[in-house]
Amino acid sequence: MPEIIEKYYSLKELWSSLNKLNKSRKYLAGGTDLTISLSYGEEKTELWIDISDIKELSLIEDRKEFVFIGAGIKVSQLENNPIVKKWVPALAESVKYYASPSIRNTATLGGNYVNASPCADGVLALAASQASVVLNLKNRRRTLPLLSIIKGPKKIDLKKDEIAEGFLVPKIKHEAVFYKMMARKRFGISKAGLCICYRANNKKLEYVSIALSSVAPSIVKAPKTEEFLKNKKIDQNIVKKACEIIKSEISPIDDIRSQAEYRKEIISVFLQRALQKTIG
Amino acid sequence: MKSENLTLNKNGKFEINFTLNGKEISAQVKPKETLLEALRALGYKGTKKGCDTGDCGSCAVIFNGKPKVSCLMPAFAAHKAEIITIEGIGSVSKPHPIQEAFVEAGAVQCGYCIPGMIISTKALLDKNPNPSEEEIKHSLDGNLCRCTGYVKQIEAVKLAAKKLAK
Ligand SMILES: Cc1cc2nc3c(=O)[nH]c(=O)nc-3n(C[C@H](O)[C@H](O)[C@H](O)COP(=O)(O)OP(=O)(O)OC[C@H]3O[C@@H](n4cnc5c(N)ncnc54)[C@H](O)[C@@H]3O)c2cc1C
Ligand code: FES
Ligand code: FES
Repeated sequence: MPEIIEKYYSLKELWSSLNKLNKSRKYLAGGTDLTISLSYGEEKTELWIDISDIKELSLIEDRKEFVFIGAGIKVSQLENNPIVKKWVPALAESVKYYASPSIRNTATLGGNYVNASPCADGVLALAASQASVVLNLKNRRRTLPLLSIIKGPKKIDLKKDEIAEGFLVPKIKHEAVFYKMMARKRFGISKAGLCICYRANNKKLEYVSIALSSVAPSIVKAPKTEEFLKNKKIDQNIVKKACEIIKSEISPIDDIRSQAEYRKEIISVFLQRALQKTIG
Repeated sequence: MKSENLTLNKNGKFEINFTLNGKEISAQVKPKETLLEALRALGYKGTKKGCDTGDCGSCAVIFNGKPKVSCLMPAFAAHKAEIITIEGIGSVSKPHPIQEAFVEAGAVQCGYCIPGMIISTKALLDKNPNPSEEEIKHSLDGNLCRCTGYVKQIEAVKLAAKKLAK
């Protein structure tokens, strides 16, 4: 239970104060995941550091070869941002499937990542967009492949006090399709999801990147399917084969939200629909 | 801006200040308390607890200009914020046009979900005074109603848009 709340508005302030704080501590961003564990009495941390208004975490910037999206960006800020729409279309597309409008005004992309859920819609879109994560501990930065430090549900390899500062997405011209199966049309946790980023030229897939949600302990890529599809001209046969490959490279489980077999089928149907879309 | 610090006082509470429906408020809140619980404890019972897990939207308030569900926010996070609850939007004697529209369209049965629906509608119409039916549906994605079946509420939002355009 929190006893002290410290709120900082810049990284400089955060890093210069950290040495003075000698309690067990935790970062608070939007709090949509944390407040529930707080209400249920699962939170024992004494010091909560509110990072929801740190200015460096709230940037969306077009940098030379990359787009930078700050970890403190609220999901609702992604939908109509011109840089995001142009270079990270998967993320812009994911917004309408992500919780409800009032939660989107609170929930951050960084919280979605650090929470390390296999259903995380923001992480699904970032993974398909080939993003890297920028971690920062007292201004020492590490840039790592997005999924490399996610070890399973709620398990992420961050150092003590390290923050996710943001995400770097390579500027590759492409389009994106985002599909999410839930208990109803809108506002639900994913039973299975597929996001594909692609560039098609004359029905040939020059560029393809696929990520999947809720079919493994974390968000995963589909490298075998990508490899198979790359530079192929899409036709009925290729679609059929790709659907078989994608089913063979995932091993989902039965749980309260869905069954393994259903999940496999859904992923295959999503891939089929997505590939149809790539050729218009 | 300078950093802020809140430390538990001798009663085991945080002392916070915020603006509620235009009035400056000071309150003592428990560390585990959500903003929803704090508002209700202060007497603002128009904000309803339907689920306490972010799923129903009945606890929505306008927080620094944006609709947010108050059950997913620790009360201490309201320190220095500006909050508008349903009481700040209209009252029985002086209803807001959106509230009138909900009553006239027959969109209210037990009424439990309505404060949240009004908050979502206000957020929508402030941004988009003439929404399509699809846009209305999406803006109410997070508001569950166990009584009415939603049709009348969509009509109510359309009627509210007309009233506000006058
Ligand atoms: C009703 C409901 C519906 C939801 N629907 C969806 C959905 O459709 N799709 C989806 O993907 N998720 C959904 N979620 C989950 C949740 O809203 C998201 O994961 C959200 O993005 C979390 O962000 P936050 O800012 O609220 O995180 P917080 O609760 O503030 O933080 C979560 C965790 O991340 C840590 N953290 C946060 N930011 C940083 C940072 N920058 N660096 C280091 N650590 C950090 C915190 O310490 C904490 O451990 C839903 C949740 C609820 C309650
Ligand atoms: S009580 Fe907050 S969303 Fe239901
Ligand atoms: S009117 Fe009863 S829950 Fe909506």
